[in-house]
Amino acid sequence: MKRKLTEIGLIILFYLLQVTLGRNIRIGGIMPNFLIILPILFGFYNNRQEGIFTGFFAGLLYDLFFPGLLGFSSLIFVLLGYISGVLGDIFEQHSIVVLIAITAAGTFSYEFLIYIGNFLLHNRIFVPFYITRIILPETVYTVLIMIALYKPLQLLNRLVESKKVKREKELNETIS
Amino acid sequence: MKNKIKRVISPRRILVIVVCLCAALTALSYLSDRLVTPLREAVSQVIIPLQRGMNGIGIGAVEHEEKLRTIDELTAKNEELSKRISELEDENKLLREDTKDLADLRSLYETDQLYASYEKTGATVIGASSQNWNSSLTLDKGSADGIAVDMNVIADDGLVGIISEVHNNYSIVTTVIGDNSYVSAMDEKTQDVCSVRGDLTLMDTGYIHVERFKENAEISDGDRIITSNISAKYLPGILVGYAHDVTPDGNALTKSGKVEPAVDFEHLQKVLIIKQLKADMTAD
Repeated sequence: MKRKLTEIGLIILFYLLQVTLGRNIRIGGIMPNFLIILPILFGFYNNRQEGIFTGFFAGLLYDLFFPGLLGFSSLIFVLLGYISGVLGDIFEQHSIVVLIAITAAGTFSYEFLIYIGNFLLHNRIFVPFYITRIILPETVYTVLIMIALYKPLQLLNRLVESKKVKREKELNETIS
Repeated sequence: MKNKIKRVISPRRILVIVVCLCAALTALSYLSDRLVTPLREAVSQVIIPLQRGMNGIGIGAVEHEEKLRTIDELTAKNEELSKRISELEDENKLLREDTKDLADLRSLYETDQLYASYEKTGATVIGASSQNWNSSLTLDKGSADGIAVDMNVIADDGLVGIISEVHNNYSIVTTVIGDNSYVSAMDEKTQDVCSVRGDLTLMDTGYIHVERFKENAEISDGDRIITSNISAKYLPGILVGYAHDVTPDGNALTKSGKVEPAVDFEHLQKVLIIKQLKADMTAD
C-alpha cells in the first residue's frame, strides 16, 4: 500500500515536472519525457505487476490533460512496464545498460507511434526530419534524465519495500 | 487462499486485461468525449492547483536567477545598446514619416486597435503540452471565469492562439505555431487575404507559413499580417506577425512565404483572453 501511494505520488510529481519544468529545460525546443521513465524503472526494480500499475496511471495522466486519445499512452506504458519487469527478472538490478536500452527503445517506439498517428497519416511524410529533429533528441534527452534519476529512485524504491519482500531478499542474500 | 488468487492472477493475465482496458478506453475516447470529460474534471481538481503552485515556484526561481546576472554582462549590453540607440534614432526619423501615412490609412480601414474595446481578461500560462509534437498551452482560467471555446488569446499585442478546450478551472490554447493551426489572415496594408499555417518542420527557423495570397498581391518583407474580417473564429485586426520572403508559387496562381510571429512563444507567461466571440459578432 505504502509503495502504491509512493508510486502515485511520483507519477503526479513527474507529470508536474513534465508540464512546468519541461518547458524551461527544453534543449533546441525538445523536452524529455519524464513519465515514461517511471514504469520502466519500477517494472525493472520490482516486478511486472508494478510496471503495469505505474504504466497504466502514468499513461492515463499523460493523456488526460491534452487533446488526443485517452488510453493510448497507457497502452504503450503498460507494455513497457511489463517488458521492463521481464528484463528485471533476467538481469541484475544495477545493470544500467539494460535500463538505457529499454528507455531508448521505449521512448523511440512511443514517439514514433505518435508520429504515425498524428503526422504521417496527416500527410506529413518527411520522416527523416521528424526522426532526427524530434524523436531522436527526445530519446537521448530522456535517457540522460533516466540516468540522472535511476539511483535516487532505486533508493526510494528500497525504502518503501514491504517487510515481506525485504525479508525474502535478505534470505536470498544470506543463501547466496 | 491468497496463493490461489495469486496463481489465477498471473502477471501475464493482468497485462492482457489492462491492455484490453486501455484499448477500450482509446476506442471510447475516440468515439465520444463523455467518458473523458468527467474524469478530466475530477483529476484537474487535484492537479491544477498543484500545477499552479509549481509554476509559481518556477517563476520565482527564474526571477531570482535574473537578478543574479553579473554586472559585466549588463555593462557590455549597455554599450551595445547605446550604439543601437543612435542607429535606431536615425531609422526612427524615417519611420515616423511612414507612420503618419499608416495612421491615415488605418483610420480609413478602421482596423486600428479594433480589439482594444473588447472585454479582456488576463491569464497565466501554467503549463505546456506534455509532448513535443504539439504546442498547446494550459491557462489558469476556465469556464468558472467565463472562458469559452473559440475565444481569442493575445499577448504583446499579437495573436497567441485560440481556446480549444475549456474546463472548470483551466483551459487549453492551441497556438498559431502549432502544427495543425490555420488562421485566416490578411496583409494590413494591401488587404490581400491569405492563411497562416503553423508547421513543426519550421521550428528551428522561428517562422510559420503564410499561403494563398493572390498572385497579384504585392507583399513586402515586414508587412504586418493581421487576422482577416472573413475569419469564422478570429476577431478582425489582431496582429499575427510580419511577412517574410513572400514569393510566387510554382502554380503561378498564388503566392506564399513565411511569417515571423509577433509573440515570443518561448517566454510566454501572461496572456490576455478576449471574451468577445466572433460568432456572436456576426449574429448581432
